[in-house]
Amino acid sequence: MDLLKTFCTAAEAAGAVLVECKSPAQAAARIAELADGAVLLPVSASCERAQLAEQLQTAGVRLLAVDRTQAADAAAGVTSAGFAIADTGTLVLESTAEDVRLASTLPPRHFVLLDRSKIVADGLAAVTPLRQLHQQQPRNYVAYITGPSRTADIERVLTIGVHGPKQLYILLLDNWSSDLLEM
Amino acid sequence: MNKRRQREYKGRIDQVLATPKLQDALHKFGDAYLVSRDKAFTGLDFEALRSEIATMKDGVRENRAELLQQFIQNAEAAGAIVCLAKTAEDANAYIAELAQRKGAKLAVKSKSMASEETHLNVALEKAGTQALETDLGEWIIQLAGQRPSHMVMPAIHMFKEDVAELFSKQTGRQEAAEIPHLVQVAREQLRQGYMDAEIGITGANIAVAETGGLVLVTNEGNARLASTLPKVHVALVGIEKLVPTLEDAARIIQVLPKNATGQALTSYVTWIRGAVPCADEEKELHIVLLDNGRSTLAESPQCRDALRCIRCGACANVCPVYQTVGGHVFGHIYIGAIGIILTAFFHGLDNAAELVRACIGCRSCVSICPSKIDLEEIILSLRETIGEEEGIGAGKNLVFRKVMRNRKLFHSLLRAASVLQKPVTKGERTIRHLPLFFSSLTEWRTLPAVADKPLRDLILQQPQRVEKPRYRVAFYGGCANDFLYPELGLDLVTVMNALDVEVYYPQKQNCCGVPALYSGDKETAVELAKQNIDAMLEGKPDFVLTTCPTCTMALQRDFVAHLKDNPAWAAKAEQLAEITVDAAGFIVNQLGAADAFSQLATSEKVTYHDSCHLKRGAGVWKEPRELIETSGHELVEMAHADRCCGFGGSYSLTSHPDIAKMILKDKLIDIAASGATCVAMDCPGCMMQIRGGLEKQGSEVRAQHTIELLAEAIKSSK
Ligand code: SF4
Ligand code: SF4
Repeated sequence: MDLLKTFCTAAEAAGAVLVECKSPAQAAARIAELADGAVLLPVSASCERAQLAEQLQTAGVRLLAVDRTQAADAAAGVTSAGFAIADTGTLVLESTAEDVRLASTLPPRHFVLLDRSKIVADGLAAVTPLRQLHQQQPRNYVAYITGPSRTADIERVLTIGVHGPKQLYILLLDNWSSDLLEM
Repeated sequence: MNKRRQREYKGRIDQVLATPKLQDALHKFGDAYLVSRDKAFTGLDFEALRSEIATMKDGVRENRAELLQQFIQNAEAAGAIVCLAKTAEDANAYIAELAQRKGAKLAVKSKSMASEETHLNVALEKAGTQALETDLGEWIIQLAGQRPSHMVMPAIHMFKEDVAELFSKQTGRQEAAEIPHLVQVAREQLRQGYMDAEIGITGANIAVAETGGLVLVTNEGNARLASTLPKVHVALVGIEKLVPTLEDAARIIQVLPKNATGQALTSYVTWIRGAVPCADEEKELHIVLLDNGRSTLAESPQCRDALRCIRCGACANVCPVYQTVGGHVFGHIYIGAIGIILTAFFHGLDNAAELVRACIGCRSCVSICPSKIDLEEIILSLRETIGEEEGIGAGKNLVFRKVMRNRKLFHSLLRAASVLQKPVTKGERTIRHLPLFFSSLTEWRTLPAVADKPLRDLILQQPQRVEKPRYRVAFYGGCANDFLYPELGLDLVTVMNALDVEVYYPQKQNCCGVPALYSGDKETAVELAKQNIDAMLEGKPDFVLTTCPTCTMALQRDFVAHLKDNPAWAAKAEQLAEITVDAAGFIVNQLGAADAFSQLATSEKVTYHDSCHLKRGAGVWKEPRELIETSGHELVEMAHADRCCGFGGSYSLTSHPDIAKMILKDKLIDIAASGATCVAMDCPGCMMQIRGGLEKQGSEVRAQHTIELLAEAIKSSK
């Protein structure tokens, strides 16, 4: 199986929802449909390049400034993944900038844009870019995200959305970003 | 021995056995866990993965000083403030002082076993800081005023109705006992806490020396919130969490969630290095590295492998004792097999003593452990330490030291017992009822009577016609085979002769010493090892055969371990270990005679019970199945075939009959459900337990040793 297929299967098994997109504009339109409220969009190189903020606004999405008070009221956060890990269906987000953490922890929905080509095979293969992230900056907060927030603490029944996002949407794109270290 | 403590513990066992709901939940969890774990490891080589982790972790232990230095240097370079806490008190004092300094009213916590270990919440309350647990399970038990009963699922002992009641008190509303609703209540109730708290406290699953960073492996997302929103982040981390590189961390992450809950990966794996941005400032990150007995553990040659532990909790998931009594009884702060060991080093031997005795020694934990820790062996060595410190009790002392070490006396007492028991056996081979205060022994299973004549006498009278023997083997009978089931030994002779193997019975052999060892009397075990080595090697046999896997383990493993530092004995012990083999394994592997009995038997529906020490000790489980099938029986697998039957020698007879009884009950249910008319096994101990239980139930199913089935097949074909 190719990496993309493996990734998609594993991500869905972990409870993520895959959204196939042909263009950033289509991604923005899908976010507009699904967000169900105001959105946080932390700064990221790939989103800027694609002018995602404008696209979202065109699609009718209300953007909030990413700060703590607003973040708590947002319906969704939109971030871009550095890369993904196929075998577990995991997204890797360089989250040292606090905005990324707020957007990916507080709102009930989390949208992650991912270039279909940026997928490594497994956790061990992920170490190379992970180490590069550590070399690039002196301090880091790197998040591996696999599916929505979950718990099985009451009678071992799997329940979604206890603290973090209740829904995780992965928007798959081509020509979005080719650098594994770029968000 | 501490009688009062023992009585108290017994009381706790009784209490928990009265709540079958808990056992039911833990059994169901154990089953579901194994299914999802299998799935999660599909395509991966668990043995290879765990060997890698074990080797890596041993390296960490050996180089711990340098790695710790490297970690601290890198963490500090990234702006973290590192505190090395020698004791739990030191760690608590540091964090409480910090909280005071910050004027913190509230600290939000994500799950941290280390903070349970140090009782951090109590220390914080005293300093005027409220500690709010945000992990759902931890919050539930915090509201209930309890402690975790499982390392990964702290509230596994509670039910949704209990949770609804606790939450209703908290919210002042009537909360419905529906899980999604309760989870939503927790989300709403805890959310504000992250915003208000001055401090976020987390643990860490891994500390990476290469980067000075921490790794948090979580599902709920509360650790991400607790490490992001408050201005101060305190991570309390046991020093055994160190690994050298990011690759090493990746290997642990690959295995940990799979082995913990059968999840491919947790929802979140968070890599934090240093003081990251926090609300236009810089986070204040304190890393408290906790020793609290870990260095002492590293210095203990018998126990130090426990430092490899990655806290997956699996050793509890599969433990029959844990499944029967739960983590509050089979644990202190840490629970299950690893909990016993950590308790001894972190919370003192006194807190571990009863737990050590409550382990039945089935080795289920050993085979599931992703760090390849021989937990059972370590628990056994703790038993010895406790035996030395506290004594093993006057009665046992007398039996082991004065009687068992003196073979002639021991055996003449057993012979006398066969006569003395006459009034209760009523001429039968099993004892169904015992009078007076012994009566509890036969309430739930019959017991075998001591045979009129032991195997050691009978075997001399059995003619052996082997023209040109392929091998001459010495038979190590063991006490049960010798004095309770001599017919099994005679059957072995029949089977071996049919395979052109001559058998002799060294008359000076004595008890294998396991009962003494399991009671903490190593001295007697060593003395018996020497007696047996001499007795068994004397006639220069080609092999030494056993029908009891506990004896096999003693001859193959324990004797060598006891005597490895004794130059006069080490080589002889090795020699005996090398030629010792269990009967079924011998037929299949050494003789290559798996199909020698082809279709001799009158076909019967047979299910197989794996004896703990045969499967997980000697590694034999395919062989007897093969023999049963080729000899013409229909083999049907029962559920949990390799789960302990609850015998455990003195465990079921004297120390923990109440737990043993429950474990047997599970086994009998599985046997009945298999639809077999015969349950085969390769251990006289299991026979005693299972046969006794079946008889007491009035079941039609018979319990036979594989060797008995083979002898039966030979005889029926003649
Ligand atoms: S040996 Fe068996 S009883 Fe003892 S801790 Fe391990 S699993 Fe539990
Ligand atoms: S001892 Fe092994 S099985 Fe038990 S928690 Fe530790 S790593 Fe897991």
